[in-house]
Amino acid sequence: MAWGNPQQFEVERQIVKRFNEQNPDLHVTVFSVPGTSYAQKQIMMLGSRTAPDVMRVDHYFFPNLAAKGHFTDLTPYAKADPDFDPDVYFPTALEECYVDGKLMALNVLFGGVAMYYNKSMFDEAGLDDPWQLHQQGKWTWDRFRQSAIALTRFEGGRPKRFGTTVPQLPAIIACVRGFGGEMIDLEANRSTLDMPGTVAAYQFLADLVWVDRAAPTPAQGANFAFTFESGKVGMVMDFMGMIPRYREVAKGFEWDVAPIPTGPAGGNTVIKGNQLVIPKNCKNPEAAWRFVKYMASRDTERLLYAQIRRCFPTRKDVAYSAEYLQTDQPPYQLQAFVESVENGRILPISERWVEWINALQMETDNLFAGRERSAAVVLRRAKDKIDAILSEDPGF
Amino acid sequence: MKRRLTDQPAFWGWLFITPWLAGFLGFTAGPMIASLWLSFYKYDLVTLQYVGLENYRRLPTDPLFWKALSNTFAYAFISVPLGVAGSLLIALLLNQKVRGIPLFRTLFYIPSLVPSVAAAILWQWVFNSENGALNLGLGFLGLPTPQWLQDERFTLPAFVLMSLWGVGGARMVIFLAGLQGISETYYEAARLDGASHRQQFWHVTLPLLSPVMFFNLVLGLIGAFQIFTQAYIMTGGGPNNASLFYALYLFRTAFEQFKLGKASALAWVLFAILMAFTLIQFRASKKWVHYEGGEA
Repeated sequence: MAWGNPQQFEVERQIVKRFNEQNPDLHVTVFSVPGTSYAQKQIMMLGSRTAPDVMRVDHYFFPNLAAKGHFTDLTPYAKADPDFDPDVYFPTALEECYVDGKLMALNVLFGGVAMYYNKSMFDEAGLDDPWQLHQQGKWTWDRFRQSAIALTRFEGGRPKRFGTTVPQLPAIIACVRGFGGEMIDLEANRSTLDMPGTVAAYQFLADLVWVDRAAPTPAQGANFAFTFESGKVGMVMDFMGMIPRYREVAKGFEWDVAPIPTGPAGGNTVIKGNQLVIPKNCKNPEAAWRFVKYMASRDTERLLYAQIRRCFPTRKDVAYSAEYLQTDQPPYQLQAFVESVENGRILPISERWVEWINALQMETDNLFAGRERSAAVVLRRAKDKIDAILSEDPGF
Repeated sequence: MKRRLTDQPAFWGWLFITPWLAGFLGFTAGPMIASLWLSFYKYDLVTLQYVGLENYRRLPTDPLFWKALSNTFAYAFISVPLGVAGSLLIALLLNQKVRGIPLFRTLFYIPSLVPSVAAAILWQWVFNSENGALNLGLGFLGLPTPQWLQDERFTLPAFVLMSLWGVGGARMVIFLAGLQGISETYYEAARLDGASHRQQFWHVTLPLLSPVMFFNLVLGLIGAFQIFTQAYIMTGGGPNNASLFYALYLFRTAFEQFKLGKASALAWVLFAILMAFTLIQFRASKKWVHYEGGEA
């Protein structure tokens, strides 16, 4: 069971087809569920013990579902399997899969957040190329802001294009860390949204919209009016999974990737994967393990990532191979993704992620919609709410 | 002579309603009882823990519960009277004897045939603050152009406005049927007594239409309290929970947060509220609803 846009899902179909050809004794059928209802579907299937033998779970939900005992412990299968060597993977790729020291999944579709940019727009505006700036160590949030302002165009008071957009949460967290902040202290089970770096980062992003007018307001951005692929936004931050889509639909301009900018506290991006798990109700875990392992094998990763670039390899040998790093189609600077995985850190996702993120977004919506201009005020309120949620017994 | 089962009229009655009865017991009453039972538990599809009345006790301390409730009340008490009045107005117009009336009736009915999800997406475009039809029109007239779905002050009015899209639907048809059921002899008598058109409306049409009005009000209020699809599609409850309606909050609690006990408690509170309002309406109806041939 998987989700993704048509381009993304097609890649998985091809890989499953190959598995079936190579394993005549098994037959895998892959099916997709729309991303918007995937979370509901997966928990319904797990709860009713009707889940497929292998399913892909977004890391946002994985710690919570694993803690509820929905998944098979893969440690014995991994230990007994002579082909399985944990050292071939990036440490960050396996970090998300361990729960209390037990291997509960293997990562697929893994990678860091990077910045996609419209190279034609940069050239036309006479701006320095972000990738080159990065190599000179000058690709900072300040520089990013200047570029975003310079790329924005208004005509007759109406926006024609924007330098950037307010990013999604993973990229916001990368920005927060760049400014020296953190979101949550998982050990102490409390929110750290009042840290100066966190406040500074949120203020920076909100000011891009309301002070610099370099990113669309929620109203301006409604109904997908400004997207990167339509050439109306200069820079967006997203995971690597967008590549197949951009390759197909981003036409009429040159584009590339660069790491996300660095802040006063450095430039660590965030990384996240999806986990392939074997639900507890699976009747034949040995066969399921064969498929899970196949999905993280060198052959699959070469196809999935080097040829189709659905995401970043979890295996170091594939990531560092010339086959992966050289390409004749955008994006060219795949080194940006290699760096993101080498330097990035995983997201602070715990069992209660969904609950506290909902509370946070409710508050920060006010900030990005301009109803409240002070990030400090908004984050203070969010912190109080989140601390209340975290101190409460889950389930009510 | 021994009476056979098939001789009893009641047997046939029960037999014919069996399909409905089975459906009701299996798919409505059964789940309702299950949800009542669940509302005394903490349940996340995996672990089940008896908590007594805790789910109910905690509801009043949940700010979102109050927000959802007040949004829903505001929506229901504005949109239902407006909608009922609108439907009545259209029914009155469509009850005139003019040429092409079947065509007009069809035209007014058509919007209610659009599936609600499609209508919601359509209205999302209408309300788009930059390029939407509504704001283009308002801007043309030199009126303010609010950010309908992004500004929390305008979200609820936007939903009320959108609800009027359905005024030509089933409710109007019921009014129309009611209007046509009023015997011409009443009007004739009123005219002989010298009643003006307005007096005829207030003293003949409205009283005789009051049972239909009552029916539409009760169903309208129940329907309005359950508003869900539009908010789920168009705003997801935002901005700042301005369109977080009760049913949407319930759905989220159950199927996004998987707090099924709390969600069941929410559902039963809504049920109690709807029951209370329906009872109040039935009580009040004795004062203003006139049944033909009845004594009051």
